[in-house]
Amino acid sequence: MPLNRDVLWYKDAIIYQVHVRTFHDSNGDGIGDFRGLEEKLDYIQELGVSAIWLMPFFPSPLRDDGYDIADYSAVHSSYGTLEDFRKFLGSAHDRGIRVIIEMVLNHTSDQHPWFQESRSSLNNPRRDWYVWSDTDTRYKGTRIIFLDTETSNWAWDPISKSFYWHRFFSHQPDLNYDNPAVREQMWNVMKFWLEMGVDAFRLDAVPYLVEREGTNCENLPETHAVLKELRRKLDEEFPGRMLLAEANQWPADLRPYFGDGDEFHMAFHFPLMPRMFMGLKLEDRKPITEILQQTPEIPPSCQWCLFLRNHDELTLEMVTDAERDYMYDTYAESKTMRLNLGIRRRLAPLLDNDRRRIEVMNGMLMSLPGTPIVYYGDEIGMGDNINLGDRNGVRTPMQWDGGTNGGFSTAVPERLCAPLIQDPVYGYPAVNVLRQNASEHSLLNWMRSIIAVRSSTAVFGRGSIEFLYPANHRILAYVRRLGDEAVLVINNLSSTAQAVELDLRRYKGNILIEMSGKNMFPRVGDQPYLLTMGPYQFYWFRLRRI
Amino acid sequence: MADESFLTDDFLRQLINVGEVDILVGLPTHNNAKTVGPIIHTIRSGILRGFPRARAVIVNADGGSRDGTPELVTGISIDDLRPASNLRALRTLHSISTRYASSPASGVALRTILAAAELLRAKACVVLSPESANIEPEWLSKLLHPIYDDGFDLVTPTYRRHRFEGLLITNLLYPMTRALYGLRIREAYSPEFGFSGRLGSQFLGQNIWSDGTHGAGVELRFTLAALAGRYLVCQSFLGEKERIERSAADLVPAVRQIVGTLFSALESGFPVWSAVAGSQTPPTNGAEHGVLLEPLRVNRKRLRDMFSTGVAELETVFQSILSPSTLVELQRIARLGEEEFHYPAELWVRTVYEFAASYQKSVISRDHIIQALAPLFRGRAFTFLMENRNASGDEVENNIEALCLEFERLKPYLLQLWKSRE
Repeated sequence: MPLNRDVLWYKDAIIYQVHVRTFHDSNGDGIGDFRGLEEKLDYIQELGVSAIWLMPFFPSPLRDDGYDIADYSAVHSSYGTLEDFRKFLGSAHDRGIRVIIEMVLNHTSDQHPWFQESRSSLNNPRRDWYVWSDTDTRYKGTRIIFLDTETSNWAWDPISKSFYWHRFFSHQPDLNYDNPAVREQMWNVMKFWLEMGVDAFRLDAVPYLVEREGTNCENLPETHAVLKELRRKLDEEFPGRMLLAEANQWPADLRPYFGDGDEFHMAFHFPLMPRMFMGLKLEDRKPITEILQQTPEIPPSCQWCLFLRNHDELTLEMVTDAERDYMYDTYAESKTMRLNLGIRRRLAPLLDNDRRRIEVMNGMLMSLPGTPIVYYGDEIGMGDNINLGDRNGVRTPMQWDGGTNGGFSTAVPERLCAPLIQDPVYGYPAVNVLRQNASEHSLLNWMRSIIAVRSSTAVFGRGSIEFLYPANHRILAYVRRLGDEAVLVINNLSSTAQAVELDLRRYKGNILIEMSGKNMFPRVGDQPYLLTMGPYQFYWFRLRRI
Repeated sequence: MADESFLTDDFLRQLINVGEVDILVGLPTHNNAKTVGPIIHTIRSGILRGFPRARAVIVNADGGSRDGTPELVTGISIDDLRPASNLRALRTLHSISTRYASSPASGVALRTILAAAELLRAKACVVLSPESANIEPEWLSKLLHPIYDDGFDLVTPTYRRHRFEGLLITNLLYPMTRALYGLRIREAYSPEFGFSGRLGSQFLGQNIWSDGTHGAGVELRFTLAALAGRYLVCQSFLGEKERIERSAADLVPAVRQIVGTLFSALESGFPVWSAVAGSQTPPTNGAEHGVLLEPLRVNRKRLRDMFSTGVAELETVFQSILSPSTLVELQRIARLGEEEFHYPAELWVRTVYEFAASYQKSVISRDHIIQALAPLFRGRAFTFLMENRNASGDEVENNIEALCLEFERLKPYLLQLWKSRE
């Protein structure tokens, strides 16, 4: 299946987020690798997704799961070779699946040769590749992101006897983007992968590239200038490739990252995700509609990226204190489930393994404006292990079958890169791909089905949205429109059956056709359209005038 | 169960949209546009502050306002189309309204609110007055938290009142209710009170709604039903009670409402109150009560004159209600000059108890019995004013307490009268 050549391919995409390390081990060393991932491409293709987002796979001391890169132009030996990656990339493309890789622009590992050179002497040519200072009092107005582990954004380097700047862990020194040589080098790194055929980059931690005294060192115009320069080069040399911003900001602050369609193609909509969980628990659409009302228009070529869960904690930075407290109390009662300002849990345990809630949340993910991301394992309802440190509890090996190591690896269990989930509810004997393949009504097959319906029309990826605001606040209803096509989406956020009256007079004369079963519902007339919805039920109706 | 013909289709539709709630705030109104604005904003603020996570609704039962009151109430909803500008609300807050009639009737309003509470399965409810100018957001917490968090069924308010405000309450309702049910409920008849969903449903199911009175005194009946039903009752201090200027003509309707309701509840409550002796103070949040002492102009002479005239003119009526000794004593007092006039507590209690027993016997029209008590109450009020004209707050309170104890001491006399009614 050839790749879709549309330069706006990302608007129609459904992205599957994978960690090579924990997806499939081909050589029995206990660590997932590119050959293993390639072996599972058929599975990914059958799921129906059109892009894979890979977490960092570069050489790294792995003190931050690969986000501490020590070499940007190679593959970590545990995951295979550059040739393995190249082969995987080709195989993915052969299946019509694009590949998005991580690019951590903001910082490197302190083990990166650039940093080793930089710290080695004040006169080293790479001294100015990082942000050094004689004091730790500069940029005082800058918040600390990893509150649980860091007390300052400055760390003392005993070798060069000065402080270096780091927005994340102290072993991740920030690169100095005021230095043209750094900017040039990072473009060269990106070019290296683009020339190989990589389709897109998820650019990590982009708001923090540049520092300025008297600011909070986030979202600065100078940072946008750096990003625009990268975009310009990308468009000139690699048209049709894509940049995805990781910037955990309010929608209004995120808007500049799209520029005039000349900066990022896509950006994660961070504030929406916790509000979807909040709306479901409150049984009230208000948090969802409120944040979407606050979401500014973006240029036509741009797109939001939506997700329910990912490799990080369910971040609660973009909520109010009261909302955060509510989220903690309702989704992370145990303190061990909390990390930084977030909740380190997977989708199924967050939703009490309630299939109806998992479905309605995925239904919203697939039907709200944006490109959805499915985090590996969530399509089968994998659980988490909150006894593992940091965010490793949501990064456990994929559960392929109920056999040895869940089919992830043939290594002895002691050698696995991470322990498999083994509890009776979420453990691999109960929750695995093989078992769900065999069951027509499994979550996996339901996910394949909903993805297929979503992919059957461009309206979800490219259409406008109009909220209907029925008086029943437990019902989230909207119409997605693209050209002559219109889809009515109705979600019941409540755990109980609900009656709802929808004002559909604008669509008078249309017949509603439920998109999953293709069954007809009564024609829209002058009266409010009455529907009854089961607990957590949702409908997608194609509006057809016949 | 709610009477299915009682609520309009439109109101039912609104209730369906609201769905199950934790908190229900009932607001009966009738042409309250001038006062209701600040009150509804205070209610909303009280809900958001005191119950930020609760599913809440404001239910307005309107008696046919023509001044836009319902629109003001529904206008404070918080939803995705109407965010509260300076308030952070986790959830939608519905404020709905229904018009139950073209004229106000507190019983119909309360019934509407109770029906809504039952259909919405509200856990904790509060009814507030659209005229409570001194309402604070904390009132919501004070009236609801004991129910929502502590399992109480009824929360009655206590206030800081002027010493001469609410004389019918301090001289009759409070002491007699206390003597009957053994619980020192200071404000058994208040436009503000909190209640549990289960108490609301129990009261809604009582066969009291079709008596043609439009439910005058229904709030008192509600309290008495809670007491007779042995529901858990507590009090919350709400601060100063705003004084309402009343004319002498207001007394008869007030006596009808308060005394009529109290007496009419005696029959059904007999198994409970007949077994009670003494009294206890219920759990109370904040001060139990308070007394304001600033000067207040009262036409005492008129009170005494109306008492004397009443005793003379209603002699034949009193002969069928009161015992001969009580009537003789009242006639003696009626002849006293202002300085000597004194209507003692014991005689007042005997008077009230004899009226109560006669009411049960229906010796004459019950309404006439109740009306006949009004002039006697004026005499008692005169004595209370004279006794307390120079009293401190504590002294006023001591005098009220002494009267209450007299009601309790003479309760066997009421039982005796009651038993002899056959």
